Amino acid sequence: MHILLIEDDKDAAAYLIKGLKESGHVTDYASDGEEGLNMALDSNFDVLIVDRMLPKIEGLTLIQELRKEGNDTPILVLSALGEVDERVKGLKFGADDYLSKPFSFSELLARIEALSRRTQPESSSTSLEVGDLSIDLLSREVHREGQKIELQPREYRLLEFLMRRPNQVVTRTMLLEGVWEYHFDPQTNVIDVHISRLRSKIDKPFKGKQMLHTERGAGYALRYDE
Amino acid sequence: MFYLYWTTERDLQVESDNKIIQEVEQLRKAYTSRFRTRDIRSLAIAVDNKSKLPTANLYMLLDQNENFITGNFNDPKELTKVKTDEDGWIEFIYKNLNDDNKALSYARGREFILQGGYRLIVGRSINNEIYLKERFFLALYGSVILILFLGIIGGYILSRNFLNRISAINKTSEEIMNGDLTQRLPTSSGNDELGKLSSNLNEMLDRINKLMTSMREVTDNLAHDLRTPLNKIRSNLEVTLMSDPEKNQYKKSIQEAIEESDNLIKTFNSILSISKVESGTSDLEKTSIDVKELIDDLVDLYEPITEGKNILLKKDLELGLKILGNKNLLSQALANLLENAINYGVKEVGSVVVLGAKENSDDISIWVSDNGQGIKDSDKEKVLDRFTRLDSSRNTKGSGLGLNLVNSVVKFHRGKLKLLDAKPNGLLILIDLPKSRSS
Repeated sequence: MHILLIEDDKDAAAYLIKGLKESGHVTDYASDGEEGLNMALDSNFDVLIVDRMLPKIEGLTLIQELRKEGNDTPILVLSALGEVDERVKGLKFGADDYLSKPFSFSELLARIEALSRRTQPESSSTSLEVGDLSIDLLSREVHREGQKIELQPREYRLLEFLMRRPNQVVTRTMLLEGVWEYHFDPQTNVIDVHISRLRSKIDKPFKGKQMLHTERGAGYALRYDE
Repeated sequence: MFYLYWTTERDLQVESDNKIIQEVEQLRKAYTSRFRTRDIRSLAIAVDNKSKLPTANLYMLLDQNENFITGNFNDPKELTKVKTDEDGWIEFIYKNLNDDNKALSYARGREFILQGGYRLIVGRSINNEIYLKERFFLALYGSVILILFLGIIGGYILSRNFLNRISAINKTSEEIMNGDLTQRLPTSSGNDELGKLSSNLNEMLDRINKLMTSMREVTDNLAHDLRTPLNKIRSNLEVTLMSDPEKNQYKKSIQEAIEESDNLIKTFNSILSISKVESGTSDLEKTSIDVKELIDDLVDLYEPITEGKNILLKKDLELGLKILGNKNLLSQALANLLENAINYGVKEVGSVVVLGAKENSDDISIWVSDNGQGIKDSDKEKVLDRFTRLDSSRNTKGSGLGLNLVNSVVKFHRGKLKLLDAKPNGLLILIDLPKSRSS
């Protein structure tokens, strides 16, 4: 993936660039808002990572300018001002996702991944399929290996969220935000319990390989290994 | 006061002046009209008659050579003119011929020159006016001097008292500024404004002192709560480095370090959220929230975990309740209460946690109750403070910030938080929140 990082803290930027490179991404770097805006307008990036507080042009203004120019590259905003209302404000200015500092690198990676895929046109089909697991979006029926699986509404919503992001790491925070629309971290392992219940319905009863994987230190991924 | 005197005196004088003029006119008529000649004799008789009346004014008739013809006061040679004003009025000193002791008196009158060179002086005594005037000015000067004297003395005493008290306040303030926060301003001198000011300032100091103490406690607790995990991370990494381990051992240590720092970050985030909520920032959006939805969503999230722990999670809801609030904050607060109930409020078997809501006459109550061991009355106040962890929960995971956040959120919504005992045992936490107007 080709990523543009706009961040004035050089140390933080160096860590991020190194991490992104380890994960197989190519990263360009701008240290202030003006340079960042020009670079974003000049070439095509898959994702922009923009810090809120930047010299010369402030992060949110930069995003606004970019959107005004008709550029719709997915943007992830990074901010030390990480609170609910700040997040809402960021999204209002045209950002696609918001991550507050300090964050875990796996969270950043998962969100970049999700953003880059979001640009692919949503299929208008009425069903989703990953390997031999399929769900019908209209009747809300779930099948694996041709066998019908009974899911509770919340299990269905969780599965649908994962099925829309196959082969991607999805973090616990992303699940809380995406499925329950909560923007806080519970002190208990609620998400893990939900995942293990879902796993007991879509993985355990079947002979095929496990599909719902735990990614240590990061989150979960729905994968079909041949 | 002086003006009053001046106008009264003025009016009286004008009135008596008019009387004199009238009388002179009468006498002038008597002189000219009787025989159409200038009859000095009849004038003299008329003057003489008038002079002998008991309430007589002063009359004196003189001939061309200033010889005394008739009248009731002394002859013209002894007449001393004191003052002559523009209209021809004179003030003079005279001896009353009718009066036995013939004392000198003050009078005001007018001199008229008649045809034939005769002169008629008509006047009246102004002794009373003069006396009155003297007394008046004496009283006026006397009282002015007395008032000035008393004012200066009184002012001196008052200001000395006042300044003494202010300098006492200043002195105490300086001591407080120099760091002695236990000092209090003197308030003994009664209920006046200065006394009230002092006692208000003292109350303010009490409040500041209390806040300072709790602030210090929070900082101490924060330092302690952060130092412990930091220490853990540090020694873990140090020991790993010392022992020259395999790759997997490295990985494990680093992973542990990451988990510990994640916990630290969570603590920091909680503190930041609490501060943010407590600062009452108005940009935290409030909307009308359906209480049933709010609670259903939470139960949806937490039910699997309670089922896994054999806890019965029950809902006790009235329908159609709406509150005005920030959904995310309220969800987080209720989630904290629920997690507390799940973590600390359970027993070996038969644990029940209830999430409920009901409408009162002027607000809406939402509660979370458990049937665990509850909290002692003496601890109830304490658990709302930051970093408070009761001994019974000291060894379990947690930051000691959960209830503090709940308290901040409730305050932000202008609600009330109550910690009660559940029947027959357990903890009942009740939140009273204002109704949404649109409900």
